[in-house]
Amino acid sequence: METLQQILSIDFLLRNSLYTSVLVGFACPLVGVFLVMRRLVFMGVALPQISSTGVAIALSLPLWLGFKLTEHGSHSAHALAFVGSITFSLTAILVLAFMERRGRGQPEGRLGSAYVVAAALSILVLSKNPYGEIGWLDMLKGEVITISNFDLVLTAATLTLVLAALGLFHKELLLVSFDREMAIILRKNVVFWDSLLYLLIGLTVSMAVLSVGPLIAFGFLLIPALAAHQYARNMRQFTLLASLIGGATAFLGFLIAYRWDLPVGPTDVVLLGVLYAIGWLTAKLLQGD
Amino acid sequence: MTELLITLDNLSIGYNGQPVLTGLSLSITRASFTAILGANGSGKSTLLKTLLGLLPPVAGRIDIASAGVPLTFGYVPQSNQFDPVYLLTAFEVALMGAYGRIRVGHLIPPAERAFTRECLRAVGAEDFSHKRFAELSGGQQQRVLIARALTTRPDVLVLDEPTAGVDREATTAVLEFITEICKEKKITVLLVTHDFSAVRHHAEKVIWLHEGKVYQGAVDELLTTERMAEIFEIGMG
Repeated sequence: METLQQILSIDFLLRNSLYTSVLVGFACPLVGVFLVMRRLVFMGVALPQISSTGVAIALSLPLWLGFKLTEHGSHSAHALAFVGSITFSLTAILVLAFMERRGRGQPEGRLGSAYVVAAALSILVLSKNPYGEIGWLDMLKGEVITISNFDLVLTAATLTLVLAALGLFHKELLLVSFDREMAIILRKNVVFWDSLLYLLIGLTVSMAVLSVGPLIAFGFLLIPALAAHQYARNMRQFTLLASLIGGATAFLGFLIAYRWDLPVGPTDVVLLGVLYAIGWLTAKLLQGD
Repeated sequence: MTELLITLDNLSIGYNGQPVLTGLSLSITRASFTAILGANGSGKSTLLKTLLGLLPPVAGRIDIASAGVPLTFGYVPQSNQFDPVYLLTAFEVALMGAYGRIRVGHLIPPAERAFTRECLRAVGAEDFSHKRFAELSGGQQQRVLIARALTTRPDVLVLDEPTAGVDREATTAVLEFITEICKEKKITVLLVTHDFSAVRHHAEKVIWLHEGKVYQGAVDELLTTERMAEIFEIGMG
């Protein structure tokens, strides 16, 4: 109770980290719902990793070009990381989605390879970067500790934009995902709506990776949506329940991590996994399987 | 005078520029009921997809308009093509037919919801409209998809084997309902089917795709024993 009062206090030192975690917790599952429905779960695994490779490369770029970035966490470094993250996310999602549409080869193989190569590349790039040793590796591991007001505002603004777009264009995005042929017959521009959805997924993934790291981003993209799918009866319940599970877990995970001095990212993801497992078992028991 | 809605002139259809069927010339008039017959792989679905704008024609000309105004198609696909991962209710699926009329970013007007309920009621799907689409039987899903097609307020209703996997009684009920409502609302029907009996009872005109050739005519003329024997003899060469 005392810990709860502490983290809810307006003067709480890590309040930006808490707010950012909860924001990401609420927003990521809303995009994750589309990944689950479009059977792009593996993409939800690969994208945060590819996005973090973009961060690593973008942050190393000044070093390779002979510039010096002295201030870790400065606005310019953050902006650079954001550009790297969004560029890699969007390029990857567009290429992977295009290959998926062509229907050739093995999608799981492509995504698995993309994931493992991206992970290895991140480590290689950062191992040769003196700044990586200091703090960037922490960021990529999901150590949600040092989040500035600027980071918080940027995260909130981006995620608000994503939420607004998902809300405004829900009909079109749902129609294009559920029945592409029907969307074409109704003269919807399916390429535009697909691209918009990918842009929203890319933006969310980039922002989440940048704010809380790929581990949490991956966890919050998929697990709340998968957990909610077991209980929801319709699309509205599915979306709201997934978002609620994400937001509540982010808060609870932060509370547990703060109380027992654990890293926030892994705590959140393990908590999500436990909730998913409990939900799955309960659903099975209720169905009498 | 009978109004021409769809005209195909020396049309070639196929996939990726490779023709499946060539030299297709035919016309379809308003409020007519045309059945498209043919064995699997004869090009029925390719023709349907080309008419619906889902596939570009390989060559030739296709006119789909009424007095210069593009036609609205109501499409009833086979129900087994939908992924059960979507937690959509039957009502939500039927409502999608109205999406073509609702402006981007706007809420669904209550009038469209009421019209969707009306369409569901008309096809006898009102009782299960609150249930999950994926959990309905094949026949129930077909009714919902027909309601969705009607919700588009179509000029042309296109049905791709709508009674596949549905029992005889339900098939008759569905086709009788379609015939009735289309006559009443002057909707043109294009029905792809293998069911000769259904074609004889409901269609006025037949387009028969057989081994790369297209036969067309009135049901009474084309589906006679002599004419069918002739077609198959030509086919067996």
